[in-house]
Amino acid sequence: MRRGLIAWSKAELPESIFAARLKRLRAAMEKEGLDALVAYTNNTRTAAVSWLTAFVPYWAEGLLVVPSSGDPLLTMAFSNRIVGWGKAVSCVARFQGTPRIGLATGKYLAELGAKRVGVVELEDLRNAVAADMIEAAPQAAFSDASPLFERVRIRPEPAEIALAAKAGSIAQHALAAMRGDEARIGEALETIEGTARLAGAEEVYLAAALDLARDQRFRRVDDGSAAPGKSFAVRATLAYKGSWVRMTRSVFHNGHAPLGERAAEIFAAATSGLPSTEGFARFRSWAIEGCRTAQPLDLLSSSALETQRPLAPDSLVTVQAVIDLDGHAVALAAPVLIGGAGLPSAALVPPVFARG
Amino acid sequence: MLAQDRRKRLTEAMAQSGIEALVVYGNAWQGDYLRYATDFSILEGHGIGLILPDGSVELFLDSATEAERAELETAGVTVRLAPEIARGVSGRLDRIANHRIAAAPLGFMPKFLADAARSYKLEDGTSLVDKFLMVKLPGELDVLRQAAKLADEGYKVFREAAVPGRAQFELIAEIEAFFRSRGCPDNFMIMGSGGQDVMAMAPPSERRIAKGDLVTTELTPAVQGYFAQICRTLVVGKATPVQQRAFAVYREAMEAGIAAVRPGATAAMVAKAENDVFRKYGLGEYATSKYTRVRGHGLGLFTDTKPHILEDVETVLEKNMVLVVHPNTYHPEVGYMVLGDSVIVTETGAEVLCGTPRELFEV
Repeated sequence: MRRGLIAWSKAELPESIFAARLKRLRAAMEKEGLDALVAYTNNTRTAAVSWLTAFVPYWAEGLLVVPSSGDPLLTMAFSNRIVGWGKAVSCVARFQGTPRIGLATGKYLAELGAKRVGVVELEDLRNAVAADMIEAAPQAAFSDASPLFERVRIRPEPAEIALAAKAGSIAQHALAAMRGDEARIGEALETIEGTARLAGAEEVYLAAALDLARDQRFRRVDDGSAAPGKSFAVRATLAYKGSWVRMTRSVFHNGHAPLGERAAEIFAAATSGLPSTEGFARFRSWAIEGCRTAQPLDLLSSSALETQRPLAPDSLVTVQAVIDLDGHAVALAAPVLIGGAGLPSAALVPPVFARG
Repeated sequence: MLAQDRRKRLTEAMAQSGIEALVVYGNAWQGDYLRYATDFSILEGHGIGLILPDGSVELFLDSATEAERAELETAGVTVRLAPEIARGVSGRLDRIANHRIAAAPLGFMPKFLADAARSYKLEDGTSLVDKFLMVKLPGELDVLRQAAKLADEGYKVFREAAVPGRAQFELIAEIEAFFRSRGCPDNFMIMGSGGQDVMAMAPPSERRIAKGDLVTTELTPAVQGYFAQICRTLVVGKATPVQQRAFAVYREAMEAGIAAVRPGATAAMVAKAENDVFRKYGLGEYATSKYTRVRGHGLGLFTDTKPHILEDVETVLEKNMVLVVHPNTYHPEVGYMVLGDSVIVTETGAEVLCGTPRELFEV
């Protein structure tokens, strides 16, 4: 729930971007005969609404209505005093504060006379909100619009790729700022956190594998005095203007520093083959996540899954991997743009490799 | 140990109520029910816990990253990765559809899970858990005392970092880095800076701190998932007599509110004690919902838990509840001003957890 800078950057995301996204969405809605589309947001499921409006809530929850024509309406469970802040950091025609977002949304749908309404992630929608909305819009038939929304938003424009690259760059810079020889892990995390937030990160989740030789899984650190092992890794999950990435830095001592560079080369070779995941077969573990609907980093494919979701060409993902090299485990993560139309896939920002 | 004590409390309450399975929901915004039952502080995606009468716990998560973390951070919990979580949990509940199943908070459950067409019926178990979220165990109080000390230390860092020319988000970078250095992985904070134009606090912006600004903040660091809060206001430079006079009203109101805290009193009585001070000085309008949200609230595994301190909330205070009493609101002469301390409801009154002086700081 930590919050950094939440602001709509008109330089990075001009109004024309949102106008173009709305146009694409409405064209898809028309094809499916939808009168309106509804998307939910809270401070953990931000992605659908932020993609359409730039808005990222720091608190509370909201619903966005995109009618087939007319004004989109974003309702947030904010008091009127906070609505002014919401308007200042969003690009949406109408912004309303209300304690009952489902009710207000349903009323707007009724006012619009919307009969066919698509809801992004309808099955996962908070049931009290859904019940309010459905009751207040008795004329409407609601259906799941997740596949439609995913098709519309999956191919990023240059602006979205640039944001992901910026998020990756902030994470890379912050991880690189850690010396790697800190006696206390708290000291290392302090450096990463401070560096990332000073660079404008909206959110930073840090996790560590304190002794890579023993366990390659990451956990939050609640004891700043804990000492890192001879090889350890820190993962930064970082948001910038609604764009989320993960990056990991492994640190080795005892003369094993070159391991990281070799691992980065292997990682690059495997990711260049995406959307095929064949290159990951030799890895100890891996996970590929990306934004498809409202969850910023949705699980798409992983060594922990029996059934993989297909990876789309020309889409943004974050890849995490643990690679075994010369009896050592190396953890890496980086944002990757999956190639298409003959272009190879490549990391937007190279993984931070080890320096002991 | 704390997790085991909480789980024991839950299963005893389930037995007393005849509940044969308890389903709890959590996300990074509202994660307290999930943390209470499963000991997992969720950051990404949805989390749903299933607690059975024998104390066994299954934790369903739709994020592989979170599932991996949960395996390390929880004990005695079976972690299940379920990318389609509502359907995954629903399939599990189908197997115990003939049991009495309660859900908390019921209103947060995914629509699919709560749908009437399912083979099972979810009863509302929110109040069963709410009582435990509000009235703390001794171990929980100890952790909250630690969190309040950390909040005090954090505010000291905040005071030193609030210098002219620095953007709000740059100031907050320093605070968050400090908390991280202390092994504190979570903090809720909002702030404001400026004068009469500032009507509320919000996340840090690019606005730069300037001489003469009132700088407000509430810091809410967590220790083992438990949040304690401090609210303070500072002036960049020398406080004016008007600012000092205004601040005196907030101090009197907060102290009146804390004096009203005792077992048997209601949340409404605490709010009234605070608001009466504003009314005494002709500022009653600024104690209304037009200018302020609440006059305090509960603290624990959520930063804004029940009870809300408002004049229409009749929740009776009990020993071992933890509250922040904060008459934060707009003042027409100086702008938004805040002051608040975390307290434990004791047998006879309140134990104040925050040690930072109740003054309008000048930096």
